[in-house]
Amino acid sequence: MGRFWRLLAALALALGALGASAQEEDDPVKEAEKQKKQLLEQSGGILPSDLYVQQGEELFKAKRGPKQASLEACDFGRGPGRLEGVVGRLPRYFFDTRRVEDLDSRIRTCMIRLQGFRPEEIRRSEVVAIAFYIASLSNEQTMYVRPLMPQEKKLYELGEKLFYLRAGPRDMGCASCHVTYVGRRAGVLPYSDLLGDKRVASHWPAFRYSNDQAWTMADRIRACYANLGMPAPDFYSEPIIALTLFMNAQARGARMDLPGFIR
Amino acid sequence: MRRFYLIALLAFLGPASGQPGPVYITPELQRLIQAGGQNYANVLLRQAPDQALCSIHRNRLPPEVLGSFIEEQRRLIKYPEGGRLMGDWKRGEAIYNTLARGNCFSCHVGSPLNIGGNVGPSLEKYGQRGTSEAVQRYTYEVIYNPWAYFPCTVMYRFGHGGLLKPEEIADVVAYLLDPSSDFNTKPALKR
Ligand code: HEC
Ligand code: HEC
Repeated sequence: MGRFWRLLAALALALGALGASAQEEDDPVKEAEKQKKQLLEQSGGILPSDLYVQQGEELFKAKRGPKQASLEACDFGRGPGRLEGVVGRLPRYFFDTRRVEDLDSRIRTCMIRLQGFRPEEIRRSEVVAIAFYIASLSNEQTMYVRPLMPQEKKLYELGEKLFYLRAGPRDMGCASCHVTYVGRRAGVLPYSDLLGDKRVASHWPAFRYSNDQAWTMADRIRACYANLGMPAPDFYSEPIIALTLFMNAQARGARMDLPGFIR
Repeated sequence: MRRFYLIALLAFLGPASGQPGPVYITPELQRLIQAGGQNYANVLLRQAPDQALCSIHRNRLPPEVLGSFIEEQRRLIKYPEGGRLMGDWKRGEAIYNTLARGNCFSCHVGSPLNIGGNVGPSLEKYGQRGTSEAVQRYTYEVIYNPWAYFPCTVMYRFGHGGLLKPEEIADVVAYLLDPSSDFNTKPALKR
């Protein structure tokens, strides 16, 4: 843990100095790049997401839970223990659970099956850290989500329908912002082009430097519901997996930037 | 696939369990939504027929449904008791500029108090349109139910959705139209 705390201290200093730069870039991607560079300079080469990655790696490799097992035998789609590039293929169908799972729910599955945790014992912060670690091993690889199995095709279709669904007192629906008003702003950030811009789905999980938060796609989706006063779907639930599958498939061919570093 | 959807859709059009109108949420989609939890499902599964129509057509209604849709949306508009469409601009100012109330500034340029967004058109110096009965009525109705003018738009149906009471909408109308309102006498904040 020594290295962890040293990193943390360096970062606390660097983050404090962040945002002091003169002119903000209009393109959020360029602005994030600028902030990243500045942070790297000030912290001596570490990013906050490195902390999560390191924490996640420790959690992943430690023998934990009632079964005193590590997660190293967890199969993310390329076979037990093979982690490189797996994020670019998720969500996908798994024969052992007979479900389509995303990164978050697959981590949870392995914590239950391999380590023996009960579902209610699983801490969200641990799942996020582990997701950051696994994501770091997919960095710069290609996004390649392609629904082929019948279960994947079905869930993709349902995800697409959910994406266009309008409901609630504010007539909320993903497409009304992320398709109809792409690039427009109702705050600091423009509505991103979830169907057209492949970068969008290929930088999750991500560290949000303006809020100092580590988020997976599930957190992002839940926040978009909550921003419109809607109850969010439960973590690890099928609506989240379906939406993620639909969005990730749009990013096919993109080079992943993981863990993401965004505003 | 297209054909399948069409058939499924036709099967759901028309009176289903006493509630007429189009249905978007198939039993399969319903099961998916229920897996998201009770609170989530409670809101999504209560989708209204007009919301279903926007979902089916992905927010761009085809000409053959447009006329009846707009007519129906107009019918949903209720007016303040006594019929005054312009209330107190000071109260309207608070509603317009509060995120959890009108949140108008987030999408529109025009407020001298908050930097405006550009999701909707600029409302800068909106009061230049005058205070004629027609302008008051249009402004009130757009806020009460934007779908009567812009079907399936992202702007919330403040009156219909129960987000603002008719009197509160009249206050916002006054904020936009009253010549002495800060909205019309002070410069708009822009990014
Ligand atoms: C009212 C408009 C609105 C709606 C509706 C909305 N979002 Fe968002 N969404 C945003 C905004 C604004 C952001 C920018 C991020 C921020 O503010 O941090 C965003 C960001 C995102 C991102 C990350 C984009 C990126 O560049 O990394 C994803 C993914 C996303 N939304 C998915 C969804 C999904 C799925 C839904 C429907 C369940 C949805 N959104 C509904 C406004 C919306
Ligand atoms: C989520 C974004 C959003 C919010 C919040 C919002 N609007 Fe709008 N508004 C729009 C959009 C978009 C349009 C244009 C409709 C279209 O083209 O779909 C519009 C149109 C309008 C118009 C008609 C413009 C014209 O030139 O005739 C008025 C007036 C208006 N809005 C007022 C308001 C007021 C007042 C509020 C707050 C009570 C508000 N809006 C909140 C997005 C928004």
